[in-house]
Amino acid sequence: MTKRKENFDENMDLRVSSRLSTDLNALFEPQVGVPAEADRAVMDKAHKHFAAMQSGKRRRLRIHWGWRIAAAAAVIVLAFSLDLTKQPEPTTDNLSLVRAVREPPLQAVDIDRNGRVDILDAFKLARHIELAGRTEKEWDINNDGLVDQKDVDVVALAAVHLDKGV
Amino acid sequence: MNKITSIILTCVFVIVPVLAQQSEQSAKHRQASLTGGHLTVNYSTAQPGVRFAPLHIYIDSGNKSLAAYQFELKTVAGQIKIAGVEGGRHEAFKEAPYYDPAALAKDRIIIAAFSTGSVLPKGRTQIATVHLQIIDSTEPQYELELTVAADADANEIPAEITFEKGEIK
Repeated sequence: MTKRKENFDENMDLRVSSRLSTDLNALFEPQVGVPAEADRAVMDKAHKHFAAMQSGKRRRLRIHWGWRIAAAAAVIVLAFSLDLTKQPEPTTDNLSLVRAVREPPLQAVDIDRNGRVDILDAFKLARHIELAGRTEKEWDINNDGLVDQKDVDVVALAAVHLDKGV
Repeated sequence: MNKITSIILTCVFVIVPVLAQQSEQSAKHRQASLTGGHLTVNYSTAQPGVRFAPLHIYIDSGNKSLAAYQFELKTVAGQIKIAGVEGGRHEAFKEAPYYDPAALAKDRIIIAAFSTGSVLPKGRTQIATVHLQIIDSTEPQYELELTVAADADANEIPAEITFEKGEIK
């Protein structure tokens, strides 16, 4: 019991000595003091900097989405402006042939010279060509240097033209 | 962001053609294609209330061989549009005849054809079929005039032209 009392002195003074406290405070005290004004100024500048970055980021995001929406709208407008409802005109050989050749004067296609342009003019020209008989140069209706089926087609189309004069 | 962009573009490229196709179908009445001299008329795209009817044209040349013909068809009553023209059944006139493309979608047309072949029809022959789009409810009345009919020597021959109405669709 006496040995225990020697090892555990319950009346020991646990307070740090003033000298030790002073030395410890000096050890961990900041070497350079920052004035409060300087501290505030730095903080203000930092706040402004990061606020500007944030608004710039938002602005760039708005512009980015704006371009995307504009691109999508342009595609839609382009698709409808192509007029997909428009039907192609009949692309028969006759139509393309008529368009390729300027409409000849009616006298030129009146092969039999009866004053009337009808299918018989085309028929007679076709018979002449098939029989390889005499062909007049003036029967080269499309002026391609040849008297052939194309000239027959031109004459036939002149015969069925709705607004022909003869 | 890239994922969203892809989704947006995919939606645009899918929706736009669908919308365009729908507007095309609502404006279309019929679709025709000419292949090898025979006209195929697709009535499936017709609007409700619009009817299509073929008109079969016959020429009776008697005992003479028919080598060439020309006739004019017009409407004297009712409202129609000419949708297409088809050749006849005989080999000599199987190919699509000559006609003015400007007559399509109108109510008057001049049709003509000839054959330089050796096999020519005699008697009553179907020489063409005209496909018509009947617009209103009035039964249309037609006027058919034979301008000329000729034999193999290109000599004019007397002939009679008639028509028969086909099945209305």
